[in-house]
Amino acid sequence: MKEKSESYIKEILSTRVFSVSAYLDLLNTLLQACKTRVVGEIFEFKRAQSGHAYFSLKDKKDGSVLNCVIWNSVYNLCGVELKQGLEVIVSGEPDIYKPRGEIKFKVSSVQLKGEGELKKQYDELKKKLGYLFVEEKKRPIPELPSRIGIITSKRGAVINDFLNNLGCYGFGIKMVDSRVEGQEALKDLLLSLRTLKKQKIDVLVIMRGGGSLESFLAFNNEALVRELTGFPVPTIVAVGHDKDVPLLALAADKMVSTPTAAANLLNQSWQRLEWELKEKEASVFSFLSSFFEKFKLLEYKVKEGLLRIIEGEINDLKTRIERFQSVVLSNDPERNLALGYSIARKSGKIIRSIEDIKIDDVIDLEVSDGIIKSKVNERKKSKSKS
Amino acid sequence: MKEKNLNQNLKKLNEIVDWFESQEEIDVEIALNKVKEATEILKEAKKRLKKVENEFEEIKKGADFE
Repeated sequence: MKEKSESYIKEILSTRVFSVSAYLDLLNTLLQACKTRVVGEIFEFKRAQSGHAYFSLKDKKDGSVLNCVIWNSVYNLCGVELKQGLEVIVSGEPDIYKPRGEIKFKVSSVQLKGEGELKKQYDELKKKLGYLFVEEKKRPIPELPSRIGIITSKRGAVINDFLNNLGCYGFGIKMVDSRVEGQEALKDLLLSLRTLKKQKIDVLVIMRGGGSLESFLAFNNEALVRELTGFPVPTIVAVGHDKDVPLLALAADKMVSTPTAAANLLNQSWQRLEWELKEKEASVFSFLSSFFEKFKLLEYKVKEGLLRIIEGEINDLKTRIERFQSVVLSNDPERNLALGYSIARKSGKIIRSIEDIKIDDVIDLEVSDGIIKSKVNERKKSKSKS
Repeated sequence: MKEKNLNQNLKKLNEIVDWFESQEEIDVEIALNKVKEATEILKEAKKRLKKVENEFEEIKKGADFE
């Protein structure tokens, strides 16, 4: 296939006459295949009014020169302050500027060459952005967060470590897959932050595994740090590190070293709530059991005490009523009628003395089963009563 | 006749019984009236006591919930 296209190009080149413009277009197409990384020392650095930067890269061994251009938008994000004498590795591709016929290397990203320079750049930026890292700027991680935004690479152990340690508290997770290694990660991270900025989340977590200062280049970028500090909800950055803490971690509201620690941090308020609920549950149970004990005691008192007292009272009442009944019965004058006594009445009034009647009076004699109408023939006073 | 409660009935009965027990010679006419009144009160008291007793049995049954 490759051979075929090569022979096709050769054929065109040998048979066709090109205009300058068409030939340069062809060259630029072919040059796209030369996308690569080039190391060299910066000289003749200048920045145009448009913000685009122009410089040359010099080969330290033989002095060979490569002219470079870096567009304003790329330069603002690259995180490296270019200057004379700085040794850098640039990524990009060559391109011929048709109006002048000059070839320039179009830079898409820059990184410093060597740990020494990286460290220097890191220290300078840390000092410059120091006011963003102060404690007063830190926002608390919300209590009982439920919607978590995550920026990390979906490949690798980090996301699994995080999810395995996140408690079962019904978290809703919105994850944006992003490269987290090297300078190329920067664009991804910025884009991910801008994407999640529009989402409804309670807290943002940015994670990656450990690595050298060089592999953390994207995490020490000014534009990224500023984007994070302006993020609308509290942020957690869990990026492992060796010696120098990545500036992105310093800018976060909460910095932890591992994805597990980030998960634990999110679990914390839920665990506290769970513990408090268990404690409350226990106190309710102990209250209820003491209530039931008291109730049982009362129940016993009612059954064994009060009910027995009332039962005694009722029995006592019965006895009293029976006694009343027997007293009343034994004193009932009508009871004596059955024994043969009778009650004598005149005009309904009981006759107590012979003085109460006269001869020829009609009187009623009440006996047990009726009344006998009688006429008085004679009155005789009892001897014993006289 | 206005209904009296158990205690009032018992009080009245007590008075009647006391009256009988305090008489050396009983006036038959008064005695008859007293007996008549006492019989009424006894009837009422028994009815009320039965009601109380029934209610008590219900409560006792209800309290037996172990």
